[in-house]
Amino acid sequence: MFWYIGKRLLQSILTLFIIITIVFSLLRLMPEEGYLGAAAEKMSFEQQEIYLTNLGLRDPLIVQLGNFYGDLFQGDLGKSVNYRTDVPVTSIIGDKIMYSLLFGLGAVALSLLLGVPLGILMAQMKGRWLDRLGTGYIVFVVAVPAAVYYLFIQMYITDIFKLPMLFDEYNPISWVLPLLSMALAPTASYAMWMRRYMVDELNKDYIKLARAKGVKERTLMFSHVLRNAFIPMAQYLPATILFTITGSIYIESLYSIPGMGGLLVDAIQRQDNTVVQGLVLVFSSLGILGLILGDIAMALVDPRIKLGKGESVR
Amino acid sequence: MMEANHPQERILSIQNLVIQFTLRGQVLKAIRDISLDLYKGESLAIVGESGSGKSVLVKSIMGLLDKNGYIDQGQILYNDMDLAGFKTEEDWLKIRGKEIAMVTQDPMTSLNPLKTIGKQIEECVVLHQGLKGKEAYHVTLKLLTDVGIYDVEKRYKQYPHEFSGGMRQRIVIAIALACNPKILICDEPTTALDVTIQAQILQLLKNLQKKYGLTTVYITHDLGVVAKVADRIAVMYAGDIIEVGKAHEVFFDGKHPYTWALISSLPQLGSKGEQLFSIKGTPPNLFKEIKGDAFAPRNQYALKIDFVERPPFFKVSDTHYARTWLLDPRSPKVELPEALLAFFEEGRSYANEQ
Repeated sequence: MFWYIGKRLLQSILTLFIIITIVFSLLRLMPEEGYLGAAAEKMSFEQQEIYLTNLGLRDPLIVQLGNFYGDLFQGDLGKSVNYRTDVPVTSIIGDKIMYSLLFGLGAVALSLLLGVPLGILMAQMKGRWLDRLGTGYIVFVVAVPAAVYYLFIQMYITDIFKLPMLFDEYNPISWVLPLLSMALAPTASYAMWMRRYMVDELNKDYIKLARAKGVKERTLMFSHVLRNAFIPMAQYLPATILFTITGSIYIESLYSIPGMGGLLVDAIQRQDNTVVQGLVLVFSSLGILGLILGDIAMALVDPRIKLGKGESVR
Repeated sequence: MMEANHPQERILSIQNLVIQFTLRGQVLKAIRDISLDLYKGESLAIVGESGSGKSVLVKSIMGLLDKNGYIDQGQILYNDMDLAGFKTEEDWLKIRGKEIAMVTQDPMTSLNPLKTIGKQIEECVVLHQGLKGKEAYHVTLKLLTDVGIYDVEKRYKQYPHEFSGGMRQRIVIAIALACNPKILICDEPTTALDVTIQAQILQLLKNLQKKYGLTTVYITHDLGVVAKVADRIAVMYAGDIIEVGKAHEVFFDGKHPYTWALISSLPQLGSKGEQLFSIKGTPPNLFKEIKGDAFAPRNQYALKIDFVERPPFFKVSDTHYARTWLLDPRSPKVELPEALLAFFEEGRSYANEQ
């Protein structure tokens, strides 16, 4: 297990380096105005050259890359150009990332808490009213664009339950609606997958044998079916974590949460190369982290994945 | 040899059983008025082609019918209980495993891939033998040894994917034995195995039957298996038992045309240069009411009455009965094919030598 995680970590770090290098290279292909900021118009051509040389942008590309990595290891992502001029990128992202992470992870936790049991119940009552109700909910969430029901929730639910319309850090009640709205879609997908895999497992031969040997239906569900059905679920976890973090742009702007959601769009529009670079780095790290966690979770629950020996059975 | 154990004490008795399924609003009659006794200590083979209802019959004994299937009429008597009347899971838990255990068809899929085989066997030991902890562990190891697995302490901790097909079938058998049942049902225990392993598994089952004093029921369409293990044979066709008797009686003195057809289909009975025998036509549609003998439309010896009235069981000997009008004294004599007669002759002389 230890070796397996170590190996996966090393692989991920390698992947991360490749991504960073590609992003770095791509941004060097962007117009240089992105580094000059609002002052560009007032500068003469010579002044611009001096400014860019001072920034190190006239060095050979390989030296620039080296410097970039050097700064990166010291936790320096450069300074924002015109999003918030001269403020370090790390502190711009740092201010906002906590909000996005908290809401993202909160929504994932909430949807797991609701979606998995819902899926289990639906599988157990396949074809009965609860199953149909759940299916209706899933179809609704998948078919109706998120923006529509987000808006409706904000318009009506706030009204009916007298909840605050906007996010307020110091008023926990104002956190409820954004969290709930964010959790709706992943809850539906967890329930859907859980139900599907449970039904799949319930039709397998080993369940028939377990029944024949006299295992109670309840024991059967929890000690045989649940774990087996959860294995494929483990793969979806990282993907949904990513989705809830990056997909929070809507919610964040609706409830004016000072999160990261809109930051990338803003930074791109204002051609703030350093901020874009920093954000891509954060997003890709989160994605890779999600994948590792998914793999580890799979390895923990499925004995058929041989660890660290490079020979997988599945 | 075959007469040596002369089991007479009835352990399970099926009487006039009718099982139906509702499928898309239609009613399918899977078991049509079957009566069958199972005697203590014997091994009974139920043979028949796919869809003849053999699996449905044994599933009904364990309450494992699919949700759309139900017992319409009849009784299944076991220990003064009528299993046909069982409704709740609680009722069935008294039977499943404890009294009647099952060895399933496909060992590759019959084990939970995420539990060690030791745990899967031990689950039964704990459930049905009331043992716990160390005791249960030791009983499990003994069971593993009994089914012919070596290095049991290491094997106990391994997962199903670390075993071959034959080994897994041994484990499935160990699970059945762990329940400490009176009756063991083997639902095509060797179908999914390759031929060399088949013989080993059958031998193992035979040995264990003696050792644990089990009554076994084999379900199979493989007459080779039947010949190796069965004391008694029941032949099923279209949801009905059409012939039942001691193994040698059915094999070498079969009376029902369907039994003849089955035996004629054995490749050993074919002669060089000629096509192997196959039964023409298809089994009847079970959604429709079957009139007369279900096999009549495919039967070259069919009489007029076969299409009109269902034949009763005619007694051939104390242990041998067949449902065919050909046994009625008024019916004409039929000429059987040479190969079949030769087979019967050979079989009888072989049985006499024994």
